[in-house]
Amino acid sequence: MNTSDQKGLYVPELEKDSCGVGLFANLNGFKQHHVIDKALTMLENMEHRGACGCEPETGDGAGILVQMPHLFFKDQALKEGFKLPYFSEYGVLMCFLPRESKLFNKIITQTEELIHQSNFHVLGNREVPVHNSGLGKSALSTEPKMMQIFVAPNTRLDPRELERQLYVLRKYIIHSVYKFIAPAEDTFYIASSSYKTVIYKGQLTTYQLRQYFTDLQQESFTSAIAVIHSRFSTNTVPKWKLAQPFRYIAHNGEINTIMGNLNWWRAKEDHLQSDIFSEQDNEMLKPIPWRGLSDSGSFDNVLEYLVQSGRSVPHSLMMMIPEAWEHDDQMLQIKKDFYAYHQNLMEPWDGPASMCFSDGIVVGATLDRNGLRPSRYCVTDDNELIVASEAGVVDIDPSKILIKGRLQPGRMLIADIEQHRIIGDEEVKKIICQNKPYGQWLAKRRKKITDLSSTSKIDLISSVGPTLLERQQWAGMTKEDIKIVLYPMVEEERDPLGSMGTDTPLAVLSQKPQHIGNYFKQLFAQVTNPPIDSLRERSVMAFTSRLGASGNILKADEDLAAFIYLEHPVLTHLDFAKIDQIQHQDFKVGTLSTIFDLSRPYALESAINALIMQAEKLVASGHNILVLSDAKISYGQAAIPSLMATGAIHHHLIQTALRSKTSLLVQAADIWESHHFALLFGYGANAIHPYLALETAWLKNDLTLPEDHPAIEKKFIKGLEKSLLKIMAKNGISTLQSYQGAQIFEAVGIGTAVIEKCFKGTVSRIGGLDFEGIQREIKERYLIQPKNNLRDGGIYQWKRDGEHHLFNPQSIHLLQMSTQLNDYSTFKKYSKVIDDQDKQATTLRGLFHFKLGHEIPIDEVEPVANILKRFATGAMSFGSISFEAHTTLAIAMNRIGAKSNSGEGGEDSIRYQRLPNGDYMRSGIKQVASGRFGATSYYLSEADELQIKMAQGAKPGEGGELPGHKVNEWIGKVRHSTPGVGLISPPPHHDIYSIEDLAQLIFDLKNANRDARISVKLVSKAGVGIIASGVAKAHADVILVSGHDGGTGASPLTSIRHAGLPWELGLAESHQTLLKNKLRDRVVLQSDGQIRTGKDLVIATLLGAEEWGIATAALVVEGCILMRKCHLNTCPVGIATQDPELRKKFHGKPEHVISFFTFLAQEMREIMSSLGFRTINEMVGHSEFLEWKPNQNWKTQYIDLNPILYKEPIEPGVGTYKSVAQEHGIDTILDRTLILHAQPALDDQKHITGIFNIKNTDRATGTMLSYEISKKYKEEGLAAGTIRYRFRGSAGQSFGAFGAKGLHFILEGESNDYLCKGLSGATVVVSPDRKNTFDPAKNIIVGNVALYGATSGEVYIKGMAGERFAVRNSGASAVVEGVGDHGCEYMTGGQVLILGMVGKNFAAGMSGGVAFVQAKWDDIDQKCNKEMVALEAPDASDFELIRTLLRNHFRFTSSRTALEILENWDILKDDFIKIMPKDYKLVLEQKKKIAAELITSDKS
Amino acid sequence: MADPRGFLKYDRELPASRDVQVRIKDYNEIYKPLEKEKTIKQAARCMDCGVPFCHHGCPLGNIIPDFNDAVYRGEWGEAFDILKSTNNFPEFTGRICPAPCEASCVLGLHSTPVTIEFIEKSIAEKAYEIGYAVSTPPTTRTNKKVAVIGSGPSGLACADQLNKSGHDVSVYERNDKIGGLLRYGIPDFKLEKWVIDRRLKIMELEGVKFKVNANVGQDISAEELVLHHDAVVLCGGSTIPRNLPIPGRELKGIHFAMEYLEQCNRRNAGLTIDPTVEINPKGKNVLVIGGGDTGSDCVGNSVRLGANQVVQIELLSKPPMDRTETNPWPLWPMILRTSSSHEEGCERQWAILSKEFISNGNDRVQSLKVIEVEWKTLPETGQNKMVEVAGSEQTILCDFVFLAMGYLHPQYEGMLAQLDIKVDARGNVADQNYQTSNPKVFAAGDMRRGQSLVVWAIAEGRQAAAAVDQFFLR
Repeated sequence: MNTSDQKGLYVPELEKDSCGVGLFANLNGFKQHHVIDKALTMLENMEHRGACGCEPETGDGAGILVQMPHLFFKDQALKEGFKLPYFSEYGVLMCFLPRESKLFNKIITQTEELIHQSNFHVLGNREVPVHNSGLGKSALSTEPKMMQIFVAPNTRLDPRELERQLYVLRKYIIHSVYKFIAPAEDTFYIASSSYKTVIYKGQLTTYQLRQYFTDLQQESFTSAIAVIHSRFSTNTVPKWKLAQPFRYIAHNGEINTIMGNLNWWRAKEDHLQSDIFSEQDNEMLKPIPWRGLSDSGSFDNVLEYLVQSGRSVPHSLMMMIPEAWEHDDQMLQIKKDFYAYHQNLMEPWDGPASMCFSDGIVVGATLDRNGLRPSRYCVTDDNELIVASEAGVVDIDPSKILIKGRLQPGRMLIADIEQHRIIGDEEVKKIICQNKPYGQWLAKRRKKITDLSSTSKIDLISSVGPTLLERQQWAGMTKEDIKIVLYPMVEEERDPLGSMGTDTPLAVLSQKPQHIGNYFKQLFAQVTNPPIDSLRERSVMAFTSRLGASGNILKADEDLAAFIYLEHPVLTHLDFAKIDQIQHQDFKVGTLSTIFDLSRPYALESAINALIMQAEKLVASGHNILVLSDAKISYGQAAIPSLMATGAIHHHLIQTALRSKTSLLVQAADIWESHHFALLFGYGANAIHPYLALETAWLKNDLTLPEDHPAIEKKFIKGLEKSLLKIMAKNGISTLQSYQGAQIFEAVGIGTAVIEKCFKGTVSRIGGLDFEGIQREIKERYLIQPKNNLRDGGIYQWKRDGEHHLFNPQSIHLLQMSTQLNDYSTFKKYSKVIDDQDKQATTLRGLFHFKLGHEIPIDEVEPVANILKRFATGAMSFGSISFEAHTTLAIAMNRIGAKSNSGEGGEDSIRYQRLPNGDYMRSGIKQVASGRFGATSYYLSEADELQIKMAQGAKPGEGGELPGHKVNEWIGKVRHSTPGVGLISPPPHHDIYSIEDLAQLIFDLKNANRDARISVKLVSKAGVGIIASGVAKAHADVILVSGHDGGTGASPLTSIRHAGLPWELGLAESHQTLLKNKLRDRVVLQSDGQIRTGKDLVIATLLGAEEWGIATAALVVEGCILMRKCHLNTCPVGIATQDPELRKKFHGKPEHVISFFTFLAQEMREIMSSLGFRTINEMVGHSEFLEWKPNQNWKTQYIDLNPILYKEPIEPGVGTYKSVAQEHGIDTILDRTLILHAQPALDDQKHITGIFNIKNTDRATGTMLSYEISKKYKEEGLAAGTIRYRFRGSAGQSFGAFGAKGLHFILEGESNDYLCKGLSGATVVVSPDRKNTFDPAKNIIVGNVALYGATSGEVYIKGMAGERFAVRNSGASAVVEGVGDHGCEYMTGGQVLILGMVGKNFAAGMSGGVAFVQAKWDDIDQKCNKEMVALEAPDASDFELIRTLLRNHFRFTSSRTALEILENWDILKDDFIKIMPKDYKLVLEQKKKIAAELITSDKS
Repeated sequence: MADPRGFLKYDRELPASRDVQVRIKDYNEIYKPLEKEKTIKQAARCMDCGVPFCHHGCPLGNIIPDFNDAVYRGEWGEAFDILKSTNNFPEFTGRICPAPCEASCVLGLHSTPVTIEFIEKSIAEKAYEIGYAVSTPPTTRTNKKVAVIGSGPSGLACADQLNKSGHDVSVYERNDKIGGLLRYGIPDFKLEKWVIDRRLKIMELEGVKFKVNANVGQDISAEELVLHHDAVVLCGGSTIPRNLPIPGRELKGIHFAMEYLEQCNRRNAGLTIDPTVEINPKGKNVLVIGGGDTGSDCVGNSVRLGANQVVQIELLSKPPMDRTETNPWPLWPMILRTSSSHEEGCERQWAILSKEFISNGNDRVQSLKVIEVEWKTLPETGQNKMVEVAGSEQTILCDFVFLAMGYLHPQYEGMLAQLDIKVDARGNVADQNYQTSNPKVFAAGDMRRGQSLVVWAIAEGRQAAAAVDQFFLR
């Protein structure tokens, strides 16, 4: 993927974008300018969802799709001197052309010629009038000339056919011009080519769109439909054509599986045969998704093709983004059949998606199965439909509103302008599903494993030929793999947990022969899309697979239903035998042996070449199931690593257009860890038979098949399923089918030849082994084995003969001794042991050496004290580590003017008072993680830096769990949870599903503490630099790039080892990319991840970091001896434990920590003096002072680290380190007025009131005011109701966020997402505008993710709220009249009363607090995720509570619903059902019991 | 792992030793047995550390956490398999090793270490008890002939390893019985000799040939031996003791410790001792010079033989009771150690410099003149310097003096000289990965390393065997 002209680490293909979308439609079909005007206003009101680059005048892109303004164009044409025929008899090509006249002429001439060749003629050209005076420099430099080419067919065509021909014409022109005029690809683009629609868009800000295209300002420019889009891109390289909308859709979100989708599409493309397109037309259309498109662009291209070839837009969308149908028991059978049938045609295009679409007649919106993007709509009594990412983006008289709603996950909203009405999701889908007898076809042709028969006896593969031990040795299994990975997987049905980071060598640096899988690192969702919780949100995930062929997807017939449906893709011996022996006309199995003779040179490569040719032959002869097997291996032979065999065949079949005609079943010995499975699926396997893993699990002690082998298989598969779903989920992918072939990995140490043949498209930035190298490693593995035994491994536990660890007995001892004795000479011994990696390198930086500089006296280098201020300790929560360990670090860091990090567990406020000796236990950095534990207004106010943890090196893309036994009274108090009850941190921040959401949280936090820096913690992976640019544009002050090897208190071992990339890559890429985008000087760049010595620090600085974090080494200084048992609460040195006895064993002292950091700074200074740097600032980014050399390990000869050392050329004056303040946009916000008005309350605690108008651009209202309260009145806040403010209108996101005690906010109107997130004691009331006439109980007035992480306070909502209401609430109480899916998720405290409907997956992961729902028992029983909660009838005290809440609700909102219940209490009270977490109940009961016993004992 | 919270539940407990007054009347092992349940609890204390310092501290690299886990689960066979994968003779090291593993046990950081050595012994004994420790001769033979010279721990370990690789192994021992220091150095109350015999029987059954009274370089030509074997491994030990060349050294009654210890062990083995050379300290005053383990063994034997008084002196200062700041965990603790022999009756003095043996007028020693010294650290070099304390002279009565001040190097005359084997600066056999200046000749144990522990000897023997294997592969 790294093209030759790229020298650094930046990979443009990984650019991301995300955005605001919306549509405005007049359902009566009245074409009005009003529609366009309103739509543009909507767009402008979503400016904060877009972004601008280094210059505020250059936007990332904005656009609008409208119906053909026929009358307007007719007039314009006349002015230009040509006449337009009737509507639907001509089309308009909206073209972007180069400004340079020679090229312009060349392209336009050829285009016109192509039009003439295509049975069209040009009616006339119109240069689109534009007004570019407000544009920024970057946008101007690439501004195209906008031309509209009006064309008409030479023969009269039916409108549908005309549209299709215009489509073919556009593709033909583009493909031909790109082919013959090379520079055209950058400068020429056709935004739309249609008789129905036209698209105006460009590299503009939302405000510029209207100004730029003067057409849009004309009253005569009319449409009944307008779809709008504003883009927030991570790149700043201007790209006019990447603006949206595309021809059918405007997309907010990201397609996570894009690589797989494109590969699968390529595999299908050659077989597409349509009755509608002629063969010639079809050829002109290919390739259908053009290279260099964004994910959204590719999606649109495929959708367009499906639509043009005959399917409707909704039908095509149902194919591409199916609902979560697999586990939905309530779904109609015809719909399930539809999805099951289409499963064999196309895999889901998976990822967060809020799409607005239109074909000019039908207009609508849809959400993906997870519903992770907001989509709000309303319908007025003028029959106008407004859909947008936010509510209130356009002013509408409240009395005209009929319905206010939000789109639900997987649902579609469609309006037909010709039918003048909205067609509901159920209706539209029912029509589509009934269209063909999908159910009958499936019943007839689809097979399940249970339908197949086989011989009854199970043959052990290792009972023939080589023994089990020999097979294990050859496959590369170690004792650890069996004892630590495989057995626990079977016993506990999940990936085993571990702790601390990995400190073993990267595969390419290791001297031990490696499994090929170790060269691949799992990627993960970060910022631009959210990971999913595969446990708590299992309902949206699918683990099914299929075997067989899929054919021409343009057809819809019975043949496409002929496939084998697999409930899960991991086959047992019996399953395998059934498929292997299948006798059925629909299925033909062909077996490929992956065994080869190791002794010959080039044996591996030629074996793979032979294998793929054989595969091609088998498929050509009709084999639609290919089995890749190494089972028949014998002495003196070797097996091609199954991953290479699979990848090579998969890619070869894609290239030869055969892939969709077959399926791949892998039967191999070298598959036992979940990572191995993930890789095989990621590179194209459809099913896996891990025979050696199964036999190893079965044959634990003796060599006969145990009786209970089916139980063992079942457990193993269950454990794998959980683990694989998690690996998928951390990329935000919900279905295995979309994960298959999606290649969501980065390779480290695999060379181009191997990548091209086996893993095409995978990012591999430092090159690496070729086939010969891999063959040599396989050979070593076969030869170097202990006698009658497996190798130790030594990965998870240090072993003398095992893998090398940087922290080993020697280095731990030297570090501890040197810091305890404050002895620099011993420290130098320590750093020598770490830094000298000539024999055995562990990290990439281990191969780096300093080039000689112009040495200066050390006295000229800035003093130790200056350098110390740049240090931070890593985020470790109070909870994961003990109070003693936590505060020792804090005291030490405060003494030296550096910062410690609170971690995500909140902080006890006793730490905010200085100790008598002047010491300070306060953490300078307060972390805001997905759990939001104890993240109150006061907590945020006590920080110098607020760090948003997007990911953690040890387990990027995953959440966390603090087991109940670690939650003691103290931890419970600090985290606002119940002692003894376990706590869950969700994988995503539920207020960050995309980059514009992150910008919002940064804004919220800046409001919550405007004196603190806002930092965003990212984890290294290819593309992190691009994300970092987006984060810089989202106004972060600090960006931390962590390495994959960072520590953890508890993570799956597979994540610790296999997820994320080294910081050397991520940091260098971030520095290079930020410089390229001229954003580097806006942010502080920080790095961490197993940094141990002065050399590490100088390398980090030379690669671009100006601050550094250290955690593991600081813990070692405190006494940590890497037990790797943090998750068990048994830390014997009192660090990672809450056990009072063990905490007594803590012997760390602040002085030791200070010695350590002082030594590091001193060591840095010594290197700086030798290089000739006087200050850190002048050293940042000078990678030319580094060089790299291979070491004694032969494998290092293969890699190239120069891309890391690439120095981005910069123009003079471009800052290379933080020197420019971010513009946070908080100077003129509504809160400034609120604070001014509240001065008497803030100064003297006087009661005050006020009334304010509010609109959707007023965001985080009340947050800064709360900061003022918390700063002065600390945790206690003001007396309830001191500040009473009333707001009228549509509040922007985060209304009342972190609202402190003393605030009483009344919002009349509605609110967007994140209402009252982090609520800290305030009371907030939301009711519809007094002029609204709709029924509040049936309409949405509050967006998604309300009360996220609220800790205290009260909220009353007269109306419904969206998805994830009260997610992670830990103490607030709320009354609401209906909620969407995933309500009360992860709640740990507080009370929620719901008077109305609840959505699916209610109370998932809820471990504390209580919810009351007025509902039917059966209904709530089905909707509840009962893994952690139970339903019960309320008791007397509950009824008292419900009544109090109802009375309050009525008092504050005059809710008719509440009144009715109160008036009929005796009858209606029985409608309430209590939802109670099971563990929480137990703990409460125990407490009650203890209290009762105490009373009794007092009496006696 | 074993019980994750075991170390919090149970305290360190070792089997009690027998009462001093009882045990000094015999030469049997001094420890009482410990109940099996207690042993399992001791194993449960192991924390299965992420960085097992014990495994690092053990010269053999015993995989201690793994066998502790197996013992905890009651899987004695599995425990023995793990143990024997790194240690040929756990029944020896389980009894006589100073247990550097325990010194570096993480639990010892803030508490008391796991009783690793005792667990090791328990596993070994259990394996014999349940018939798990039996001979398992190699299934294939390589037709390579190897001679191992010396049958101490390194020679035996080397022979065992080579035999397991399928080579034809002969062990040459110049003494009348196999075992080297194990047999004639270490007293029975520390290592009863049936323990050695039990092991030798297995080795014999597995095919190792033992040749006693075969002094290579004297009875047998070393050159011919090399000629007739594919490889030879020298495991002859470091046998030349450090002398004390002060006035009066020539007096009768002054012996090197090993002379005395060998005699004691022979006597215990029921062999007769030539009365003309017999050393019998019964009713006499014994002085042991040297504060190490050998000295301690002289003390234990002397007490058992009924000495009137036993005094042990040491040149260095008395070590502290606890670790000092500069000697933290996991370093070997430089602290005062009291052996079981010391408990049995002995006066210990430190910082004593011997000046002159005084004759009883009959050419026999009667006393030793000594002076106290002070050890001072020179600030400029950091070296320790000894300074005599003026006026601290005293005289210690002694009828017998045992010199236990360590060993200098191997014996050159005979075998080494015949083979013209090069030695290093310290006088030990010089090698490159256990291969000596003669490519067919390897060396291991004290002969190569200099005087050391049994556990090191075993480790050396194993590594030398591996080097021979490699040599054959080339």
